Amino acid sequence: MKKLLPIIAIVVVIGIIIITWYVKGYNKVVALNENVKNSWSQVDTQLKRRYDLIPNLVETVKGYASHEKEIFEKLAEARRGYFSAGTIADKAKAATQIESFLSRLLAFREAYPDLKANESFLKLQDTLEGSENRISVERKRYNDSVKGLNTYIKSFFGRFFAAKVGVTEASYFEISEAEKEAPKVKF
Amino acid sequence: MKSMPSRGKLTNLKLKMHKKHFSSIKNISFIFFIFLFSVVTHGQDLSVPQRYVEDKANIIDASTENKLSGYLQELEQKTGAQMIVLTIDTTNNVPIEMYSIELATKWKLGQKGKDNGALIVVAKNDRAYRFEIGYGLEGILPDSYCGTLGRTFFVPNFRKGQFGEGIFQAVVVMIDKIAEENGIKITGMPDISKLRRTAERHKSPFSSLLFMFFILPFLLGGIFRRRMMVFPYHWGGYGGPRGFGSGGSGGFGGFGGFGGGMGGSFGGGGASGRW
Repeated sequence: MKKLLPIIAIVVVIGIIIITWYVKGYNKVVALNENVKNSWSQVDTQLKRRYDLIPNLVETVKGYASHEKEIFEKLAEARRGYFSAGTIADKAKAATQIESFLSRLLAFREAYPDLKANESFLKLQDTLEGSENRISVERKRYNDSVKGLNTYIKSFFGRFFAAKVGVTEASYFEISEAEKEAPKVKF
Repeated sequence: MKSMPSRGKLTNLKLKMHKKHFSSIKNISFIFFIFLFSVVTHGQDLSVPQRYVEDKANIIDASTENKLSGYLQELEQKTGAQMIVLTIDTTNNVPIEMYSIELATKWKLGQKGKDNGALIVVAKNDRAYRFEIGYGLEGILPDSYCGTLGRTFFVPNFRKGQFGEGIFQAVVVMIDKIAEENGIKITGMPDISKLRRTAERHKSPFSSLLFMFFILPFLLGGIFRRRMMVFPYHWGGYGGPRGFGSGGSGGFGGFGGFGGGMGGSFGGGGASGRW
């Protein structure tokens, strides 16, 4: 019996180490995954906030350029598209589309000088610009969190824990080429 | 690995991620980040703000700087709100929005949980400025208000080369707004009711409607989010709140000495413009 004691002790210690390691790895995947979810909800909030601003912008611009019907309709359509999109990739696509229409709408201020002098248009522009900026901040944080998760669950042990938790790779909020050029609301 | 999320920050927007070559991309982005950040802070030690008015571009006269520092220090002592004015020559082709959010996040201006920090950046040679507003001040200083401040006080003064004057006017209005909201008075502040009126003459019923229906719910959502949030963004990033500042804020700091950020966070609120 006395001979067995050290062996038992070693087994117990190894057991504790393994359990600790297991719990840590498991929790890490859970934490990374939570982080991705949280940051996505922030992106989503910011995108929705922008879409809530669109009707106001449209109303203000309409007063000066009522005949530019086409863009108003397209914008409304793209906005509906965002809300009906299911996956993150679809949402990203719809968001990109909206951004290009928005930048065209904001460009009207060059064609209609009265608009440029209208303080409520300028304020709206500030708000929209702020919204764009918040989106890019949250998008960056989201992509960072995705990167954290994906890198870990592709690692040797990460793969194992990811399977245990049932987490798969998250997708990045990709910025399309078109979006990079056109829609940045910069003045 | 833990610190990668925040290190990769700057570059994520720029680099498209290719999942297959992930690890090499990761390294590149890390190197790129180091490079970019050294560009950002090139020649100017911006690791920690020492004063409330960091006039690196040397465009604010001493008496204006002193006055503003005094008000800003008193504002922090009485309300906890931390506002820093930074002037630089150039951001070195980094968009000013990116530059200021990086700094504000790094400096952690404002108190943890209250997020009542603000950073004003003026890049002289780029002819660009930015108001970076922490989550907690977005209600008092909404984007459109900051935009108006820039257009009303910065642009006309800056065009005449009167940087100190423009910065003074906009910043005292901001201080006054925050002080008023907190029900306190800043001693020795000149009567700025005229400036306030100038800034707010454009106030349309529309913008307050906008605030009520769209921005307010968003702000409330933000509070909700912070409560729900299990893990902050910067885990293992910048070493937790109050990673710098040798302790005693105020007191020994001397006149206009800034004690360090208190863990406030930013989400890209504010406004920017050019002159």
